[in-house]
Amino acid sequence: MRAIQYLRLALLTLTLGLAALIRPAALSAHEAAMGVLEFREVRPGAFVGRWSIEPSIGAARVDLRVPSHCFLRLPEMNCGQQGLVGPITISNLGSNMSVVLIRLIPIEGEPRSYTISTANPVVTVLGTDAPTLEAWIELAKTYVNYGIDHILLGADHLLFVLGLIWIVGGGWRLVKTITAFTIGHSASLAAAAFGLIGVPERPLNACIALSIAFVGVEIVKQQRGEIGLTARYPWVVAFTFGLVHGIGFASALAGLGLERRLLPAALLFFNIGVEIGQLAFVLLVLALIWAHRRLDAFVPRWSEALPAYLIGSVSMFWFFGRLARMFAAI
Amino acid sequence: MKLKSPRALMATAMLLAGANAAEAHIVAARLGDFYMGAMHPLTDLQDVVLWTATGMLAGTLGAKGRWLILVFPLGLLVWLPFGSALGAASTQLAGAAMMLAIGMLLAAAAQVPTLLLCALAFAVAMIRGAANAADLRPETDRLLFAAGLACVGYGAITLTMALTAVFKRPNSDSATSWRAIALRALGGWVAAIGLMMASLVLAS
Repeated sequence: MRAIQYLRLALLTLTLGLAALIRPAALSAHEAAMGVLEFREVRPGAFVGRWSIEPSIGAARVDLRVPSHCFLRLPEMNCGQQGLVGPITISNLGSNMSVVLIRLIPIEGEPRSYTISTANPVVTVLGTDAPTLEAWIELAKTYVNYGIDHILLGADHLLFVLGLIWIVGGGWRLVKTITAFTIGHSASLAAAAFGLIGVPERPLNACIALSIAFVGVEIVKQQRGEIGLTARYPWVVAFTFGLVHGIGFASALAGLGLERRLLPAALLFFNIGVEIGQLAFVLLVLALIWAHRRLDAFVPRWSEALPAYLIGSVSMFWFFGRLARMFAAI
Repeated sequence: MKLKSPRALMATAMLLAGANAAEAHIVAARLGDFYMGAMHPLTDLQDVVLWTATGMLAGTLGAKGRWLILVFPLGLLVWLPFGSALGAASTQLAGAAMMLAIGMLLAAAAQVPTLLLCALAFAVAMIRGAANAADLRPETDRLLFAAGLACVGYGAITLTMALTAVFKRPNSDSATSWRAIALRALGGWVAAIGLMMASLVLAS
């Protein structure tokens, strides 16, 4: 019994050491680096630009390319009689600056927003007030890709889903659990995006880390033969924590300042992207579980606790890191 | 007509072999260095053919192959820090030689001992780990790239072995079944691609 305790302590130390090696920047990679640039039309075809949210790399380093008939020297942009119509791109998008929202405020008509992202680096300004079919297609392309990127870069969301799969196993129970998680995060994503609920981002991120630690503890309980809450009511746990994770997803949209008439569609496409990414991850994990069973390749008994401790340790590392950031901001 | 097929095959092989890591770098810009590490080997013909052949060889050998789940990702990581130390030509030649050897073993339906299988897989992983590392840029986060590479190595080898084991059906012991013959034929193709690649490297 004592040997097992020593082993667990050693595993915990090892995983904490490994987690400490990973730089915090890499762990919070899914918190997209974004910027918002506003262009206000002061006379027909002439705009004044202003960064309302400056990207982390600095406004001066953003390489913005506008249609060839436009002359740009920030803060001024002059497009002449043709007006601002044509492709806009940023050539140096990357992990330091993954999303930039361009907001156009014309003299007449409603403001329009265009999102340039690493997934969709060129947007076309159409110049009409009513969204055309091309505008809808562009919106779908942008936000489906953005949703996929967000879930694939969200190691915390994926680790939570992995923990759920670990506890629930396969079959209908897994389908129900993942569906409950999807319903939960879709509902809170919509509520947060429409401003019905609002939770500060930093405490929320700390809560998301704690939800993964909870799943880690539930795995250990299951391995000891105890029936935990997740094993008994997996869909309840998945739905509840889905609500928390959904607000986290919404934070990716919140900073973009989308105009209200486009928000429902953007939200729908973003959610579809998140689901595509999540489904791909679940299918990959299930394929690997199937492959291990087929090959009779299982972790040795002495190391059965390792994955649960790894999940728990990494999540607590995130939790303390995010807690520290939360207090540093106060 | 007979001459055209090998030429077309060779041209395709050259085209695919020439596909550089541009796609992976686009992935890096979009999703970061972890996914760049995961996507990088999938954009190189040598990686795709060698990894698949290694997984297939291990899959035909049954339970012996499961050691590769650990050995292969470890091999990918071992040589990663010294990637640029080996020249591109030497990694290409070593890769082609391994392709030829594994293809021939697969074609001969050889009962390779566990230790030799692990040594082969480790060698393949080391060579390809070095080749992948050679394309690293100074600004790439090596830790994330290595993690992505090891993850895709683990996933690819595990899935290929399992799929091969399912395809081969271990309960049907007939060595002359069409499934066994299909695997041996694929082994012959792998050996042929290896031979062509080795010739190309030596000729250039």
